[in-house]
Amino acid sequence: MSAINELVVKETGAGRKESDRRDRPWRVVVWNDPVTLMSYVVFVLRRLFGYDVTTATRLMLQIHNEGKAVVATEPRERAEVAVAQLHAHGLQATLARD
Amino acid sequence: MAQINRQGELVYLRVSRGERRALLQILDRLEPLVDHSHWAHPRAYLEDEDEQEFQRLVGTDLADSRAADLAQVREALESDERILLSTDGAMAWLRALNLLRLALAERLEITADGWESQYTIQEHRRPPLATLHLLSWVQEGLVEALSVS
Repeated sequence: MSAINELVVKETGAGRKESDRRDRPWRVVVWNDPVTLMSYVVFVLRRLFGYDVTTATRLMLQIHNEGKAVVATEPRERAEVAVAQLHAHGLQATLARD
Repeated sequence: MAQINRQGELVYLRVSRGERRALLQILDRLEPLVDHSHWAHPRAYLEDEDEQEFQRLVGTDLADSRAADLAQVREALESDERILLSTDGAMAWLRALNLLRLALAERLEITADGWESQYTIQEHRRPPLATLHLLSWVQEGLVEALSVS
């Protein structure tokens, strides 16, 4: 099993309290960098999150103009998978509690 | 100049022998920088404890996928075959090109938006900035080709 898959299933044995804590929504935040092409950011957001061009472009511009944008809000394990995928595509992404 | 076109489900990267050699030279020079680039070691969490747990789970996946993407680009460039990329193959190229651009930009100490205007036109036309622009051009072409519905 890959580590990313392990991220998805690792909570199955967790206690209820821990599970409840981790099931709270987490924000996936993508940060601006001065080098990555805007068209590439739009493309990656569309591919990973299924956004249409308009939504992905709006998020990309928010990242560019404001330094960061929340691109998804998910339960923790899904948010971690999303961040790992964004990292694999060379984008700077972090998680934050909603 | 190289051409990038969609051919059905595939992406055709048409490059001359000279362009292949040039791209291979760029790969040779920049690949050793990639693992040392701070971009190659992103954090998922600001809190150290959460970050350590995340890194434990992710393990070497990120480094492994980086190496695989770069190897895929090298293999295609070293081959005499036409470069016909599946969607997954083109994605590997996109990720690899992004890594190379980030590594080169770090070497150039590019840290803020607006860096383009700090250089003269002549500087943009010479290495290493010309290298950055060439990588951008190929990456843009692949994005455009993959975006064709």
